[in-house]
Amino acid sequence: MSTPVAIFAVGVGLMAPILWATLGELVMEKAGVLNIGIEGVMLLAAFAAATGYKVTGSLAVGIAFAVGAGIACGIVLCILYVRLGTDQVVTGIMFNVFAFGLTATLYEQYLGTNVATTLPDVKIPLLGDLPALGDILFNQNLLIYAAFLAGPAVWFLLRKTWYGLHLQSVGESPQAAEAAGLDVWRTRYPAVMIGSVLTALGGATLVASTSGGFVINITNGRGFIALAVVVLIQWRPLYAVFGALLFGVAQSMQFQAQSIAFLDSIPSDFILMLPYVVTIVAVILVRGSRYPAACGVPYKRHA
Amino acid sequence: MSAPGVDGADPPASSPWQRMARIGVPSPGSLLNSGAALLASVAVIALLFLALGADPFTAFNAIYTGAFGNDFIFGQTVMITALLTLTGLAAAIPFSASLWNVGGEGQLYFGAFASTAVALTVSPSLSPWLLASLCLLAGGLGGALWGFIPGILRALWDVNEVIVSLMLTFIAILISDYAITVLWPQGASRGTEDIPVAAQLPTIWSGTPVTAGVLVAVVAVIVAWVVMARTRLGFEIRASGLSPGAAKMNGVRVPRAMASSFALGGLFGGLAGAVAILGINHSLISGFSSNYGFLGVAVALVARLKPLWMIPSALIFATFQVGSSGLQVQTGISPTIGQSIGAIFIILLLGFHVIRMRYTEQAG
Repeated sequence: MSTPVAIFAVGVGLMAPILWATLGELVMEKAGVLNIGIEGVMLLAAFAAATGYKVTGSLAVGIAFAVGAGIACGIVLCILYVRLGTDQVVTGIMFNVFAFGLTATLYEQYLGTNVATTLPDVKIPLLGDLPALGDILFNQNLLIYAAFLAGPAVWFLLRKTWYGLHLQSVGESPQAAEAAGLDVWRTRYPAVMIGSVLTALGGATLVASTSGGFVINITNGRGFIALAVVVLIQWRPLYAVFGALLFGVAQSMQFQAQSIAFLDSIPSDFILMLPYVVTIVAVILVRGSRYPAACGVPYKRHA
Repeated sequence: MSAPGVDGADPPASSPWQRMARIGVPSPGSLLNSGAALLASVAVIALLFLALGADPFTAFNAIYTGAFGNDFIFGQTVMITALLTLTGLAAAIPFSASLWNVGGEGQLYFGAFASTAVALTVSPSLSPWLLASLCLLAGGLGGALWGFIPGILRALWDVNEVIVSLMLTFIAILISDYAITVLWPQGASRGTEDIPVAAQLPTIWSGTPVTAGVLVAVVAVIVAWVVMARTRLGFEIRASGLSPGAAKMNGVRVPRAMASSFALGGLFGGLAGAVAILGINHSLISGFSSNYGFLGVAVALVARLKPLWMIPSALIFATFQVGSSGLQVQTGISPTIGQSIGAIFIILLLGFHVIRMRYTEQAG
């Protein structure tokens, strides 16, 4: 593989966890819930995936565990963000601290060094043989293909179903939605659950596709990057893949640094900063973006 | 950019963080709520211990003795209280301007890096007072710079300060990592060389780890109180937090107040990093902060943003933090659980509405 192809092929792999998390966050924000606890959801799901694998030796079970963790996080976040109406920024930050402490503790106590395994790559017939593009797009694992399909699925949910329209209306104007007969809380609950499960799949991808095992703080800011990608793509699910790819490629630079002349002389810590710097530049470029109007504000029932 | 409002009304907020307003006045029922939240915290934490395979009574007792058991241990709790007091101020001051500084962790790391850099490069033959003061100053200024960046971007261009301050956290951690692995490595250890003795803050309670870092925190609280309650800058910060539109109509330089609040918060965050290096660890160690910057957000909320309440509030979270190291011996649970305990506590306080937020009216 030539260097540029390798950068993109690895970049697509690194993109997948951020893509899942971006879509999860997007669904929640469209419904008016800002989930800064996204990092914590990914972390808990990644831990669950590694635990599921360690216990049963099956990555499929690991991924199922991660989905379970996503559902559990979803229930907790529904209660906090929607039912109790706690402040979403503080709750989210503290949820992350909670998840960090819990996974670090359980890692020390039960998981320890866990075996590195990743899902096998599945080559798509014919397309996989294309020069360059074949390696970049069509020779990846199932979780990555699924992430590609998740974007259109979320688009369909939001734009083509009744629930999607209800979800967006409680994210834009909950008072009007309630006046029109919608139950704001009950409309937000499924959005938080779906968002949490999608985010959890991002955590599972991190373990089962990217790193092959759990380490403390494995997410390392990827959830926060997804928060920025959602703004960057202006809440359009079909664009999520491009936003996430930008960060995947920024991350994959670190693995190719030796073969690129001008990167070779830069210390690795500075190459590792690239995704975070790119994020800051991106949010400067899209400054003043219009969020869903009710995003971040807990809704108090008037009835 | 949103258009300026008519009649001096606030422009419609364009992002969720801008609608975030301030901590509300406690309601009459709040005492009952506080009691319920405390009970719920104890219950949830007890369940957590059970799930981790420890007897809750043993565990709570281990935390208590782990934080207050003897003078030496209590001294550790005092030092962590000092750090959390400073990171609490780092969160509270921008918060008073209705800005989210969730990057206290990054300001702490960059402050730690800056003070380590000065301690290891400036001649150690300087008088101890001078060198230690220079290092403290470097830490504070480093943190202020790290806070100023999201603050000025938000003030001038309406850039989302939550994302910028979070991203700067990861960048600051990588800069520290560079200092540890490349600039001043110490063999194969996970830290830099030790700083010279002249740069270390003197012990003020012999036989314990309590150093002059505690005094730094106390002075910081007093300075923060004076600035916020008694100066024009403090007034402008609070006014622009309550209502940017009304503040502007009354001659408050809102962008200046926003950027200053963030820089001032960052200053305290950076001092926390400096105290950790000069007064506790004596070298920059990888992962030296147990999320102290993030826990500062919790400290600030429990103190209801009041500088003088920051110390008792910090003591609560320091107790969880330091006490948890006693857990390992008695129950085998890793001390990292202390962070989760602090987080559960603050989330339940929020859930029971002991801490309330009020929001500016939604546009439209």
